[in-house]
Amino acid sequence: MAKPKARGKAAPPPAPAKKGGGTMVLMLMGALAVPFSIPSIIVLFFSMLPTAVAALVERPPGRFAWLAVGGLNFAAVAPSLFGMWFGNHTVAAALTVLTDVTNLLMFYGAAAIGWTLYASMPSLTGVFLALGAQRRAGVLRDQQRKMLDLWGEDVAHLEE
Amino acid sequence: MAEGKGTPVALRDRYLIYPERPLPELNAPNAQAFMAEDRREGGRSLFALISRPDLPTRTSVMRTLKGIQTAGLMQLNEWGVVYWPGAGRNLMALVYDRPAGGRVMAGMDAEFKRVDEYEIVRKAATPLINAMKETAQRNIVLRSIRPTNMFWMEPRDRIVLGDSALAPAAFEQPAVFETIETAMASPGGRGLGTFSDDLYALGVSLVMLMLGRNPVAGIDDYSLLQMKVAQTSYAVLVRDERLPLGMIEVLRGLLCDDPEERWTLETLDLWMSGRRLSPLQTKLDRRGARAYKFQNQDYYTCRELGMALVRHWDAGVVQVVEGRLELWLRRALEDKPRADTIAAVVRVAGDKRGAGDLALARSAMVLDPNAPIRYKTLSILPGGFGTALAISVAEQKEPKLWAECIIREVPKQWFENRTEYNPEWSQLDGTFKRLRNFLGQTAMGFGVERCLYDLNDTMPCQSPMVVKEYVLDLKELLPALDNAAKTADPKSWPIDRHIAAFIASRADFDIDKPLSSLSDADPSINSLAMLNLLALIQWRAGADARPGLGAWVAGLLGPAVAGFHSKERRQRMEKEIPKVGRTGNLVELFNLLDNAGERERDAYEFMNAQSEFNTIKQELTAIETGRVGRDDSARRLGQQIAAFVSAMVAMITLTALVVMELF
Repeated sequence: MAKPKARGKAAPPPAPAKKGGGTMVLMLMGALAVPFSIPSIIVLFFSMLPTAVAALVERPPGRFAWLAVGGLNFAAVAPSLFGMWFGNHTVAAALTVLTDVTNLLMFYGAAAIGWTLYASMPSLTGVFLALGAQRRAGVLRDQQRKMLDLWGEDVAHLEE
Repeated sequence: MAEGKGTPVALRDRYLIYPERPLPELNAPNAQAFMAEDRREGGRSLFALISRPDLPTRTSVMRTLKGIQTAGLMQLNEWGVVYWPGAGRNLMALVYDRPAGGRVMAGMDAEFKRVDEYEIVRKAATPLINAMKETAQRNIVLRSIRPTNMFWMEPRDRIVLGDSALAPAAFEQPAVFETIETAMASPGGRGLGTFSDDLYALGVSLVMLMLGRNPVAGIDDYSLLQMKVAQTSYAVLVRDERLPLGMIEVLRGLLCDDPEERWTLETLDLWMSGRRLSPLQTKLDRRGARAYKFQNQDYYTCRELGMALVRHWDAGVVQVVEGRLELWLRRALEDKPRADTIAAVVRVAGDKRGAGDLALARSAMVLDPNAPIRYKTLSILPGGFGTALAISVAEQKEPKLWAECIIREVPKQWFENRTEYNPEWSQLDGTFKRLRNFLGQTAMGFGVERCLYDLNDTMPCQSPMVVKEYVLDLKELLPALDNAAKTADPKSWPIDRHIAAFIASRADFDIDKPLSSLSDADPSINSLAMLNLLALIQWRAGADARPGLGAWVAGLLGPAVAGFHSKERRQRMEKEIPKVGRTGNLVELFNLLDNAGERERDAYEFMNAQSEFNTIKQELTAIETGRVGRDDSARRLGQQIAAFVSAMVAMITLTALVVMELF
């Protein structure tokens, strides 16, 4: 008697070799460092909220908004962080930084400037590109004229 | 030049022909006679026959006869094409020894001094039979044996046969000299014929020579044919005439209507050497128990009835289609096989358009298998289709019926009706298939014109451009066109339907590609094909320069030059072509235009240019519609710049802070 054919799904492929061993090590080191950097984390968490929002709301492709917002946001936060690292790196100092209105204005203002930059730069680039295109159109028309002179009208009719 | 004879025309630099000295007494039905002279031997008495311009001549016969010296033939000294001032064109000329005794019989109704029984063998039969033996050895059928084409070489001394080469075989023969089968065909449709046909004509001629007149003068051709069918040729021609007993036997043998029974040259030889042969019994066709009434006439035999039915074609069709013919065959003649065949022919024909015509054509073949192919007013033997077409063209008649006959495959049915195998018929059947194919094509180089030249080897090209030059051979075509260039419209083509067909028929090299391209709708292709054909002929026929033709053709190559895409290349060609054209070297002209490498390069570069032009066009459209600066790429670029600026500010701030804290 013939053997019955195997039914159902084929055997699963062998499990792929585990990747990201390095990432795990880094995460482990980060977790170990948390008790020693809680003040910095508190400051970063609250001051970099606009960057986090930008990263969450932006959809691919591109994903440049978090970088544009985050760059200026971080540039504004960095002096306060440096002040804590090279001065008093405590939770109280962190709270002092966060409760200072001027600081908050600076953090979020910088983020706002980053966002504005991100929002306005495409239009600005477009204007510059359009100006360049007019010059390019002139060159291209000149090139077409020369081709028509050399090959005649037929060169304009591309047979599919 | 002899004084008072006018300006002579020279044939091959030896014979002088005097157009102003006609000799009407030596004229042939389709040729005029003029006085001629031999430059080398001044004392010879010669005359020349000048052909009709439109008939095909028998050049192979000329070639053979020129080498024959026999007592029974007028000596042919030279032949060739000469410029004939009276016609203002080239014509074929034949120079013969001039017979001193004049023509034996002036016309078919004329009477002349009979040749008596004691002289007939020595003065007429012997020289004529010798002439036939000489030509038969060279496979030449004369088909011109008749007393009106016989001359006394010396007065009442020896009879010689006149010209046999200036008209198609048997074209000039009155019906009385033709056998029943060939007399049924029209004069142009008798074909080359056989030695047996020549022997029959000899028999009729001997009767007339002995009587000194035509015994059937005044009887029209059809009635004569009917009489021959009803009573046999011998009975009709000899009747109750008093002929020498010694000649009866030979006349019975030569005038026998059955080609199988008719005497041959060998039998004649035996008779000449004194052997007496048993006389042939007269055989008549089987007669029906009662007559077939048609057009108020009674017909008793198949052959007579066949002749009558095709003579009154439309009425004949009705007789066949209504089954009367089948009934008569079955009941009166009791010929069941024939009746069955006719029934099958009518059944197969059905009610299709023109089916009645085919049914009658086929029925006529069944009634008389040896008769010519008869279709409506045509009556042509299978080998005579070429001459029939040539005559039709010469008489400027539309060969519509001729073409219809071939397209409807009437000849094929004639071959199918044969009961015995003959390789010649198989060959002819193949020829008709080829002709049908030609007629089915309308392109240049095909059609009726192609049939004309394919069937008539010696037909001069009938194109109006070269017709006056009497072009017989492909190598004569380019000089003729070179002459034609002097008067031709420079915008007209040097190749028309006749020339294309003439080239296609005479070329012994491959011309299929340029010939098929000649009718291409694209002028750049057809003009190049025209040049290609002419260049091929020049290359094959020798490299003689033809400046007139070259310049003419060069002026027509605009479309071929336009085939190049590059303006620069075109300008270069436009400069070069007239220069090369004026040299008359068509081969070089063709090579200049048909440079495959140059054409491929041009096409490749053009394709690239088209692609580039299209890319530019798309880019320009994008710019013109304002898409540049507003599309995704612009937005993305702006976002990238914003991110880059922001990241740079962060990097600079970090660097500045680190530096400030450390130093």
